[in-house]
Amino acid sequence: METDHELIERVRGGDDEAFRLLVERHSRAIYRAAYRITGNNADADDVVQETFLRAYRALERFDARAAFTTWIHRIAINCSLDLIDSRRRRDGRVEDGEDLAAIASSTASPDRVVHGLEMQRAVASAMERLSGNERTAFVLRHFEGMPLEEIGKVLGTQLNATKNTIFRAVKKLREQLQPFTGSMV
Amino acid sequence: MNHLSHDEFVLTYYGEPSLGDDRRAHLDACDFCRGELAALAAVLDRVTPLDVPEPPEDYEARVWDRLQWRLRGEKKTRRPVTAWLAVAATIAVAFFAGVLFKASRQQGSEAPSVVATGTAKPQSLEASKPSAAEPNRILLVVVGEHFDQSERVLVELTNLTPDGSTDISGTRERAQELLASNRLYRTSAASRGEEDVATLLDELEPVLLQLAHAPAEVGDEELRRIQKRVESKGLVFKLRVVRAGVSRETTPSSTPSTSI
Repeated sequence: METDHELIERVRGGDDEAFRLLVERHSRAIYRAAYRITGNNADADDVVQETFLRAYRALERFDARAAFTTWIHRIAINCSLDLIDSRRRRDGRVEDGEDLAAIASSTASPDRVVHGLEMQRAVASAMERLSGNERTAFVLRHFEGMPLEEIGKVLGTQLNATKNTIFRAVKKLREQLQPFTGSMV
Repeated sequence: MNHLSHDEFVLTYYGEPSLGDDRRAHLDACDFCRGELAALAAVLDRVTPLDVPEPPEDYEARVWDRLQWRLRGEKKTRRPVTAWLAVAATIAVAFFAGVLFKASRQQGSEAPSVVATGTAKPQSLEASKPSAAEPNRILLVVVGEHFDQSERVLVELTNLTPDGSTDISGTRERAQELLASNRLYRTSAASRGEEDVATLLDELEPVLLQLAHAPAEVGDEELRRIQKRVESKGLVFKLRVVRAGVSRETTPSSTPSTSI
């Protein structure tokens, strides 16, 4: 089987079939990554399309020393961030998110909440309130287990800035979700 | 010694090695800090990843189907020199076709004296045929490109998934551009006897018109209505069929024919 780099060389030579093979190889993983950030199927699909389109445009500039997987994931995350930002500008969704306090108070027992659907809704809503960078950094660290240096490369930030982004994300999530756990902030 | 900060708790939770030995020793010895770390863990442990639905088996093929249309557009914009050469070539062909057409008409006006012989008539008709076909061939080349672009717009449109409010501003813009040329080509095709082409352009026009006047963002109901209209007319299929016919017509080795 040809490596990603070999396929990229073929695409650079004008072979679109090679690009189709790259799409086949990576689209599913890109979809999953996009879904984790955008939180829904339609947006994840759009991100997949936009990611490969941007990759195609930028393929001439792709550094052969880098891993294609990392590079394309970085594009996908940027596309996801762009999409989230544009949605927020359009919908003003940050302010319109569900009132977490209302969700928490509407349930009789904290234990039921913690283990139930309400908690999932609360997490989703709290994640939605994070900025694009915060959400991405958190998802990559918390769900994907990506090292801080790698996250910095994806976001284009220095190590300290990356750490601060994650600290902010955790702080906000903790504040939002604290009513569901009964723990102190 | 001071208690750990929020940032240090986060680093510790994620197992980052940046916490110094003295801070780690404090954490081990301090009930308050261990309680704080446990409280943080109680929250973060409950933040589990979203269940990502598994895409269908043919997901990769679907992605490629949608993508290749956009890549074709990319290629056109990525190769402006080639595009300009193509335009120049079309103009040159049109010029020579015009010259040939004019020459054949002049030849045709001299024909009566030849026709009068009774034997030369088929020959004079044969001589005029290729020249008369040239303008149609040029028209078909241009219309073929128009069909290609229209098909791409319609495929993109039918592939959209209703999602509350869908941004179709890009599709709308291209429909507006296509609408003006569609009218022109329809008139030309009708006047040149290209009935199949004219009929399809006629069917395409109201759909382009509807798209050109649609809002930049459409609701689910409106989107489904437009998609249904495209699908019910079988426009994408017709465009493919007619475009294939046009392609055969305009290929130099093919026999000129107006039936598609």
